[in-house]
Amino acid sequence: MSIEITAEQSKLFKMALESSTTLDMQNLSTQTGVDLPMVMGSMTFAQDQGWIKITEQSREELIAQEGAREAINKGLPERQFLDVLHQESGSMPMKMVASKSQELGIKVNDIIKWGTMKEWFEKDKGNLSLGKQAEQALQEKADDEKALALVVEKERLFIDELPEEINPDYVKRFLKKRSDLVKCKERTLRFVEVTKKGKKEIPSLSVKAEEKNILSSEDIVSGKWKEIKLRSYDVTLAAEPKKTVKNHPLQKIIQETRRTFLEMGFTELVSSHLETGFWDFDALFQPQDHPSRDMQDTFYMKRPHEGDLPSKNIVEKVKKTHEDGGDSGSTGWGYKWQTKEAKRMILRTHTTATTVHYLAQNPNPPSKVFSVGRVFRNETISFKHLPEFHQVDGIIVDSEASFRNLLGTIQAFYNKMGFKKVKFKPSFFPYTEPSAEVFVWMEQKNCWIELGGSGIFRPEVTIPLGCNVPVLAWGLGLERLAMLRYGVSDIRTLYESDLDWLQEVRLCQ
Amino acid sequence: MPVIGIPVKHLHKLLGEEIALEKLTETVEQLGCDLEDVNKTNVYQCPGCGSFSERLEHEDAPQRCLACGNEEEKAFPLISSDEVIRLDLLPARPDLFDAAGLARAIKGYMRIETGLVKYDVAPAKLVVEVDSTLKEKNSYRPYIVCAVVEVPPIETDVLRSLMKLQENLHWGIGRDRKLSSIGVYDLSTIKGPIRYRAVGPEELTFCPLGNPDEEMTPREILEKHSKGKAYAHLLQEFAKYPLLEDSQGQVLSMPPIINSHETRVKEGSSQLFIDVTGTTKSDVEKSLNTLLASLMEMQGKVSAVEIVCEGTSKTTPRLDSGSININLETARRWLGLDISLDDFEKDLARMRLGVAGEFPNYTISYPAYRTDIKHEVDIFEDLAIAYGYQNMNLDLVPTMTVGQARPEEEMAQRARQIMLGLGFVETMSLMLTTQADHFSKLCLKPEKNHALIENPKSAEHNIVRMHLMSGLMGSLLKNRRKALPQKYFEVGNVVLVDKKAGNHTHTREEKRLAFTIVDSETGYAEIRSILDAVFYELGWEGQYQAYDHPSFIPGRCARVTLPSGFSACLGEVHPEVLNNFGLANPVALAELTVAEVIGNHYKGESRET
Repeated sequence: MSIEITAEQSKLFKMALESSTTLDMQNLSTQTGVDLPMVMGSMTFAQDQGWIKITEQSREELIAQEGAREAINKGLPERQFLDVLHQESGSMPMKMVASKSQELGIKVNDIIKWGTMKEWFEKDKGNLSLGKQAEQALQEKADDEKALALVVEKERLFIDELPEEINPDYVKRFLKKRSDLVKCKERTLRFVEVTKKGKKEIPSLSVKAEEKNILSSEDIVSGKWKEIKLRSYDVTLAAEPKKTVKNHPLQKIIQETRRTFLEMGFTELVSSHLETGFWDFDALFQPQDHPSRDMQDTFYMKRPHEGDLPSKNIVEKVKKTHEDGGDSGSTGWGYKWQTKEAKRMILRTHTTATTVHYLAQNPNPPSKVFSVGRVFRNETISFKHLPEFHQVDGIIVDSEASFRNLLGTIQAFYNKMGFKKVKFKPSFFPYTEPSAEVFVWMEQKNCWIELGGSGIFRPEVTIPLGCNVPVLAWGLGLERLAMLRYGVSDIRTLYESDLDWLQEVRLCQ
Repeated sequence: MPVIGIPVKHLHKLLGEEIALEKLTETVEQLGCDLEDVNKTNVYQCPGCGSFSERLEHEDAPQRCLACGNEEEKAFPLISSDEVIRLDLLPARPDLFDAAGLARAIKGYMRIETGLVKYDVAPAKLVVEVDSTLKEKNSYRPYIVCAVVEVPPIETDVLRSLMKLQENLHWGIGRDRKLSSIGVYDLSTIKGPIRYRAVGPEELTFCPLGNPDEEMTPREILEKHSKGKAYAHLLQEFAKYPLLEDSQGQVLSMPPIINSHETRVKEGSSQLFIDVTGTTKSDVEKSLNTLLASLMEMQGKVSAVEIVCEGTSKTTPRLDSGSININLETARRWLGLDISLDDFEKDLARMRLGVAGEFPNYTISYPAYRTDIKHEVDIFEDLAIAYGYQNMNLDLVPTMTVGQARPEEEMAQRARQIMLGLGFVETMSLMLTTQADHFSKLCLKPEKNHALIENPKSAEHNIVRMHLMSGLMGSLLKNRRKALPQKYFEVGNVVLVDKKAGNHTHTREEKRLAFTIVDSETGYAEIRSILDAVFYELGWEGQYQAYDHPSFIPGRCARVTLPSGFSACLGEVHPEVLNNFGLANPVALAELTVAEVIGNHYKGESRET
């Protein structure tokens, strides 16, 4: 089995092989530019292969400290004082030593400690006098001073590298403890010596191609990529999560609803969010004292306060239908209808206001129209209620239309929206007859959910508007659908714009 | 909507057989009732006035009576615990408000007993004299209808059912006693003739229900009694109050507030006098007829009462059947159901209706309690219910039509697509907003062209938005502690009040697009490049001009006019606005009109027919 080494390793081994001296690892690192941990790793590997031998050697090293340079420039404290004492005839009282040293800005303790140790001074009955070695010292610098100068020059110096004329023991004795000047540290050097086996095998080792994570543009253009090995990844590891920007979840439902009705051949309508009571209630045969017209349930406008009624012809017919049934074949509600009440501006309470207005403008069959929009109820905001929400209303005006077609249309709509099961239950609405409540089966919740109401417009609604054929009508809520689909339990969530929710919600589920 | 609990046991008794609960609930739903659930209800009785309070099993027993205001230290005694079918009341069908009415409908639907119910009314023995002052404005409650009913000695469950029905008719027909209110009395405590008249607030005293030892004047009742206080608003504009009393001066009741204690119905009562007073003739009649029909379902025998007013006399109640003509062919077309003649007759009978005539024209007789029938389509509905919605074969209208989207909605979709492509998150905000959010915090002064609500439940939410900025600021505020940058957009309608708009609502509506960026460093240049990109995609070209807008930093805001006449506004949001909204980072924002939704093209006029 042939062993492959990296380009870096090859560089290191060759350096070790070709060097005339035995190199230590630090040296190898400096000379090759390969970082030290990599050098150590490679050499350990090489030693395991028997190519090299690593020998360790401990050496004492002196490292210059902050005070060292000053000490060289000014002289060590004992040196400075030696000169003073020499000039002062070789002796002075201890008191004077103290005051003199203060003048020089040096510590009296340093002078006495190191000076007496070096036998430059000696204490004698309250006087300090020149000692035995003073003469010698005045002639020539001591070995520790010479060594210190070298350390300052080179910043660090092994003791075994000191020139021969300097006595290492003297240096150690006087410098080792002066930690303000130098620190003495023991260091292990790892020398690399190429073995015989190494000398034989290293030159013929094959070198691995360069490994990289990413190709640079230069790598690609120059063709260098051919020599580069791209590392393989663990493709099973999880990746960094990413968030997408998207439509609002409720908007998604609105657009699906629009698309579905368009696909079913319906024409889209819009109308004003502000509406007269006439189109929201009166045209739908809701008596003017009906509880839903109560201030408790409906938002009445202060501005604009009143709107315009349609042509007199229609207003008269609607009025008469309310009062005694008019031409509709009905008995009516039997009360006095007020124009003023019908003119009152409100925020529309259902989008049926939109479809019935369209019916008045287009009473002749056939037509199929729908409208998605916001409707308003005078509610305080809570987790269950909002004062506004979306509805889709639709009508089919067709001489052939029947109640069975109505239920069939709604069933087709919800089937297309993804609900497989739809059911209907009789209900009672003021402007449709018969009326049906619409339920869809929620697979996840295992229950039926009510989503809206439907029915055939009463003749009391259609006849005054000039329409003599059945008009199938429905109004379905969208918020509930959105809440069910996206697992929202608080309706306020839909309008709160919480970024986390907007990004986390799965739109395409 | 009130919920009523129909005791299953009572229903079984009325039906004369024990029908499985599942079958019962299925049937009431097929009849059109809104089933809430099946539950256990505890019934408690007030030791003071004897009225009943119902509580669900998990709820605490009451200590205070809502009818008479009586408060006890101990919980009221539990008199029964029933399994009940709970239904939402259907305002349109008061005849299904109680167990008796429901039983009558179920019996028909399940073919236990079918056909029109005939009601016999024995001749009048009792007279009620009505004082004409009740037609005057200062004591207006002119309509009164009455009946006498003989019943088997009343048991607790019947008494409860009767009181509950009375309460629900007050809600469903009477609009909380305004249009009509019912009084039920033990006839044995009354000596006719009865007088219905208006009295002054201090004219007399009587003991109201639940207060046998405390004589009160009408004024005191309105001021002190719990029911008096609750309904005082119905009489507050009157100088005189309606009152029923017998020939001995015994007060029966002060409609629509309270009965007297002396004349109240008790367990064991077997002769009942009933009055309904009110402000509309049809509602007092509906209330009485519905109540009587239920009592008769419980073996009640009705006698008429003679009502004398200003020398003219009439008798009530009138429990004759009504009739309406229908065409079976029309019904078949309307429902899309090929109903056979045999089924037609049988189904009508199941819906407790009578039928006479020959194909295709029939006269349908309906009982007095069916107050909802106005038109032949109401009978069609009964036919559909009898057929069963679940049995219908559903299909689509045969006519082919071509669909068409609204151009402004399509434009809105294009705008959304562009903004998503530019990396903006879509938000939706409410159209209702507050003065503070919509104007003050944005350093704007409200002008006269925003729509204003008169009666909002939460007083602050009284403005319909006229721009989209406050919605976006809300989004920034909601997410202010989340990582930057953030980019949002909204597409939606704004409403502008405009008398010259040329449509019946005096408003214009525009479809707007607004978008915003918040980042540690953002500004005019960034928002402008986004707006330019939007214009590029739409194929629009605009003229930028320096613009002073109080919401933006002066010198860093522009207005763009477009050849279409639409405009846009963009800039760096003013730090004062950021302070006002509690935002800590620079915000740039732009808003533009992308389509006119409601404007001059939208006419309120309907085509002449």
